Amino acid sequence: MGTRKTAAKKSPAGETPAPAESDGHYRVYWPRTRRRAALKPLAQRPQSLAGKKIAFLWDYVFRGDEIFGILQKELSDRYPGMTFVNYAEFGNTHGSDEHQVVASLPNKLKELKVDAVISGMGC
Amino acid sequence: MCEEAGVPASTLCCEGFVGLAKATSIGLGMPTIPVAVVPGHTNVQSTLELRSNVLETTLRNVIDNLTTQPEAGVFGDEPEDGAMVFEGSFEAVNDHFVEQEWSDGLPIVPPTRARIEAFLAHTDEPPEKVLGVMLPDSRAATIWSVAVNGVMAGCRPEYMPVLVALAEAMADPYYGVEHSGNTPGGETLIIVNGPIVKELGLNYTQGVMRDGFRPNTSIGRFWRLYLRNVAGFLLHKNDKATFGNTWRVVIAENEDCLTKIGWNTVAEDMGMARGANAVTISRHTGGNLSVSLSGDVRRDMLPYLADSVVRQVNWQIMFTVGQGMGTLRPQVLITPILAETFFKAGITKQDLKQYLFDHARMPAREFERILRDWTLKPTWDLVQEVRLGTIPKVFAESDDPNRMVPIVWEPNDYMIAVTGDPMRNSAYVFGHNGILGYPVTHEIRLPKGWKTH
Repeated sequence: MGTRKTAAKKSPAGETPAPAESDGHYRVYWPRTRRRAALKPLAQRPQSLAGKKIAFLWDYVFRGDEIFGILQKELSDRYPGMTFVNYAEFGNTHGSDEHQVVASLPNKLKELKVDAVISGMGC
Repeated sequence: MCEEAGVPASTLCCEGFVGLAKATSIGLGMPTIPVAVVPGHTNVQSTLELRSNVLETTLRNVIDNLTTQPEAGVFGDEPEDGAMVFEGSFEAVNDHFVEQEWSDGLPIVPPTRARIEAFLAHTDEPPEKVLGVMLPDSRAATIWSVAVNGVMAGCRPEYMPVLVALAEAMADPYYGVEHSGNTPGGETLIIVNGPIVKELGLNYTQGVMRDGFRPNTSIGRFWRLYLRNVAGFLLHKNDKATFGNTWRVVIAENEDCLTKIGWNTVAEDMGMARGANAVTISRHTGGNLSVSLSGDVRRDMLPYLADSVVRQVNWQIMFTVGQGMGTLRPQVLITPILAETFFKAGITKQDLKQYLFDHARMPAREFERILRDWTLKPTWDLVQEVRLGTIPKVFAESDDPNRMVPIVWEPNDYMIAVTGDPMRNSAYVFGHNGILGYPVTHEIRLPKGWKTH
């Protein structure tokens, strides 16, 4: 549909006519701020999971416990010497004490000599 | 956290959350962190379907994620803080802001330097001051960005002290802004207290939750714009609200009534001094009206109110026992005439909280059934939890499955505000979102020489 021009409403005789409609001109500023997080390198991956210790982290929702059971069985069958640390060792990563649980992870993973983590569930 | 500690990780996500994982990983500084997908959604699959999906897809993803080194990540270019980013007509500015995902879809007021500076004149804080850094985008909440978003929302410059307090509250770790894009899609309720309510002309009487008063409406809109532009919650990206809702119009308490009957304000209950200007925020998935509380206070009105409170809570008890552990804070609004009627019946605000704690209850077997069958949480045995010392004894005063148990841990978990039509006898109860928007209160600091007009 094209632009339809209509006659401007005329002002009563003797009054100053209304100015033509103006859409203005604005110089506007960014409503965001730059991200404060720096790029972080990801951890070095092993070539194989054989003999590695895997920890499960869980937010206690969306059947993570069932999925971890399936993964543990299948990974153990494929890779000899794998061991696993249960999610209960770490606490709920999405509960009322989640900040403490997450903050404690680096030390806990180090203490337990964990090689890799499987964390769930985002649903 | 695991990757930063040098431990490779594979995060498991249902299919519908892969986009969110991607968006969130950028804010965490790890844009290439790998994700293992669970096809569909776990909670609608049979045991066999889930097993099949995990074996066919998730297992392979996990192995790849843990044994293949991801490529190094890069960030896209962004403007500098405080940069001028566009110039053009009102319409062109609005189109640009929509294209850049900086707008909520309604027309915004173009944030020009003159308008931003008018807002900055209503705070003693420097523009570059950082009030906090917010997930998921890890952007800094600065005074400047508060002003820009306040302009865009249609606020007046003198609302700036309220906006700054809200940005501080949003960044408060107890509130948990990082959960603002979660499945329940709750919206934040903002309650304003103090002399500033009248100074800014906030509606605190009839129709208090309806748009129509500039401060109530535009400050509410500011909240959502700031969540979008600085915290980083965009639909189809970091905001995964299943249904969602629009932002809530800000409410204020009727402090004339509270003074008359000697009840605390919400801000006082949260630790502020009487007469202090303050904002209180909490996040709710919904709410409902309890219309026309009538008759005798103790025989008729209070039982009706307690029943209304229980009816707003079903799955949310996971924030009482289980996921949240004592973080459910039901919010109740009552009108001035109801508050005065309770007062005349000898009921204090603390009495009202105690009444709701004692009477807004459900049978223990029902409480446990909801937890066990509907929230699929492993924590549902109340007697066992009391034995373990993880919840208060009131949840297992006997082992009778029909015993009545509270829906919160203690009377002070109830939040009661007096507002709305002074001459109507109704109440409103919100369904709280527990740890996903825990109540916090922040002082509104006025600049030296404060005047509103």
